[in-house]
Amino acid sequence: MVVDKSLELFDCGHRACGGCGPALAARLILKAAGKNTIVATATGCLEVFSSPYPETAWKVPWIHSLFENAAAVGSGIEAALKRQGRSEKVLVIGGDGASFDIGMLCISGAFERGHDLTYICYDNEAYMNTGIQRSGATPLDAHTTTSPAGRCSTGNSRPKKDMPAILAAHGAPYVATTSIAYPNDLMQKVERAMEVKGPCYVQVHAPCATGWGFESDRTMVVGKLAVETGLFVLFEQTDGTVTKVKKVMRKPVEEYLKVQKRFAHLFKPRRNEVEIARIQAMADANAAKYGIDIKLKKPMEKPAEKPVEKPGG
Amino acid sequence: MMRFIEGSIAVAEAVRMCRPQVISAYPITPQTHIVEALAEMVANCTLDAEYITVESEFSALSACLGAVAAGSRAYSATTSQGLFLMFEPCFNLAGMRLPMVMTIANRAVSAPLSIWNDQQDSISLRDSGWMQFYAEDNQEAADLHYLAYKVSEDHKVLLPAMVCFDGFILTHTYEPVDMPAQEQVDAYLPRFVPFEKLDAHDPISFGMFAFPEYYMEFRYAVDQAMQRAREKIRDAGKDLAGKIGRDYSAFVEGYQLEDAETVLIAMGSLCGTIKDAIDEMRGAGRKVGLLRIRTYRPFPGEEILAALSGAKRVAVLDKNISLGSKGAVGLEVKDALYGSGIPVLDYIVGLGGRDLRKRDIARIADLAEKGEGDLFYGLREGVA
Amino acid sequence: MVCPEGCIVEQEDEAFLPDYDYCKGCGLCAEECPAEDIEMVKEEK
Repeated sequence: MVVDKSLELFDCGHRACGGCGPALAARLILKAAGKNTIVATATGCLEVFSSPYPETAWKVPWIHSLFENAAAVGSGIEAALKRQGRSEKVLVIGGDGASFDIGMLCISGAFERGHDLTYICYDNEAYMNTGIQRSGATPLDAHTTTSPAGRCSTGNSRPKKDMPAILAAHGAPYVATTSIAYPNDLMQKVERAMEVKGPCYVQVHAPCATGWGFESDRTMVVGKLAVETGLFVLFEQTDGTVTKVKKVMRKPVEEYLKVQKRFAHLFKPRRNEVEIARIQAMADANAAKYGIDIKLKKPMEKPAEKPVEKPGG
Repeated sequence: MMRFIEGSIAVAEAVRMCRPQVISAYPITPQTHIVEALAEMVANCTLDAEYITVESEFSALSACLGAVAAGSRAYSATTSQGLFLMFEPCFNLAGMRLPMVMTIANRAVSAPLSIWNDQQDSISLRDSGWMQFYAEDNQEAADLHYLAYKVSEDHKVLLPAMVCFDGFILTHTYEPVDMPAQEQVDAYLPRFVPFEKLDAHDPISFGMFAFPEYYMEFRYAVDQAMQRAREKIRDAGKDLAGKIGRDYSAFVEGYQLEDAETVLIAMGSLCGTIKDAIDEMRGAGRKVGLLRIRTYRPFPGEEILAALSGAKRVAVLDKNISLGSKGAVGLEVKDALYGSGIPVLDYIVGLGGRDLRKRDIARIADLAEKGEGDLFYGLREGVA
Repeated sequence: MVCPEGCIVEQEDEAFLPDYDYCKGCGLCAEECPAEDIEMVKEEK
């Protein structure tokens, strides 16, 4: 599929926060998808900041229905296009709240029925549009307004739901995880997903400066750290088998946690060694499961490291 | 062609002839025979449609929404709990001015759980922006689908429509039904031409969010469409009458109304029983008549007022209740008759499939004549 | 590439300049530019 990547199909002038991860994700996704795409989006940050009547940022045909039904709406569009013999591709985009939680029903149905569509979840790890509440994608110990850190709590008490595994289990022919911090990789995977026939799933890790607590110019840095610490693994899965994994020189999870206000309670007023160790263990488990550690023949000289910035710095 | 068939099958046949391109429905008693029949037609290639076996009613209507937005004629059917699960997308679809038709096999709502008939389900969606038609018998149930699609898809209307018929009483009952030929339906209902659609050649956005500066005007536009639907229903009804010989242009139907002093008002299959009861009462010299409401949304206030000018009293038989208030139809009839001086008495009847006999109709007429109304009719001994 | 607004336009002289009508001042471009060619200047308090 030859797509003109110089085309901007997600217009500027939308109302996203400065430095918004999902906004960048939308831009990159549409570059990869191309003009011959119909998009169904769930209620959430992306939908709200891109469609304030009478303006729209979408230069492809776009529909927003409800919070939880984008996958069902997409299923209906796919059926109609099939019936009419049309060539447009169906792209469904939802946030993690819309996808992992309230939209589970519709996504499961759409994937189980095998519709030819691509579902992309922009994962900013909480219900951001309503003010940063916990979702099934919120990582362990993250502070959100409904999983706040306090005297009796270290924040969100559950690990991130493994959505890629769930959809692979539905028989999705192609499942991939991506991050806006690796834009070319993201676009390649989106393009691939749209090419593969059947229900394909792409999860896009999209850091949120407002919700995670970092300066707006650090979106890419934070995104990279998530991958480099092994907390977010970039992989491709074809017909249930992992075919490609991004390998990293792994950094300790602390480097990622320290730069976000939502994890500040793990360090102040005192370091919570127990929780940091738990999170490190999760990263270690990811590393083992996916084989992300770069194995060197000889130990390398450690390069001089950039000083780690304090949150809010 | 006259056929002796089950109500559900008559409806399925009518829907088949409307040539929907996408069918998306979830099974629920007593609608199941409709969707099963349609599935069989698709499996045997007598219906050329995409049949999406969705995982819930919510998804059913959402999928229809997507299909219509992409330019295909869509169909669904449901009842009771299923319709309530569709509550959100119902308002969404109407608000986006997407036309389609959905059959409601009227059934009582939980709690307590009931699979038997009353009209609480569709009546509870009366605010949604969907047109609503109530069929008295299976002939009407089938025919109303052609009318509903035609009016719904008219570019001056663009509102979805519910065709309601009583669960089990009509859905599962065999009656003689005259099914037109495919050519007749095609001549009446041409291919769906969307007003706007999702199309990569001409991209537009559906389902914006609207600030307070804009929202009201959108809702006003939907209401205006409802008002324009009045004339379109009349026109489409006359047109259909010309093609198949049965006229559904009138929103209400009078029976023995001309000199009636006590007028009963109801919707749906109950009217069949009421007509028989009226025949008996007339035989005994009582001046009772029936005003049946067929088109409930848009509400035929003017037609009701015009039809009841001679009445001394009106008894509304409501197969629904707005808990904490009265029956919905009763309240709206009262509104239509406001200022006329005609007393309107409301009777909550038949909830959860509670049967009404001709003698019950007569008793209600008695109560109305005594001025005793605004009550639940027929409660068990010792309850009221 | 990394601008969430997509408002950075390549100029004739191959320099990249944001459309100031749409730039939100997030600073991602400055942070990520490999040539360290972009500088953020505070406009007003």
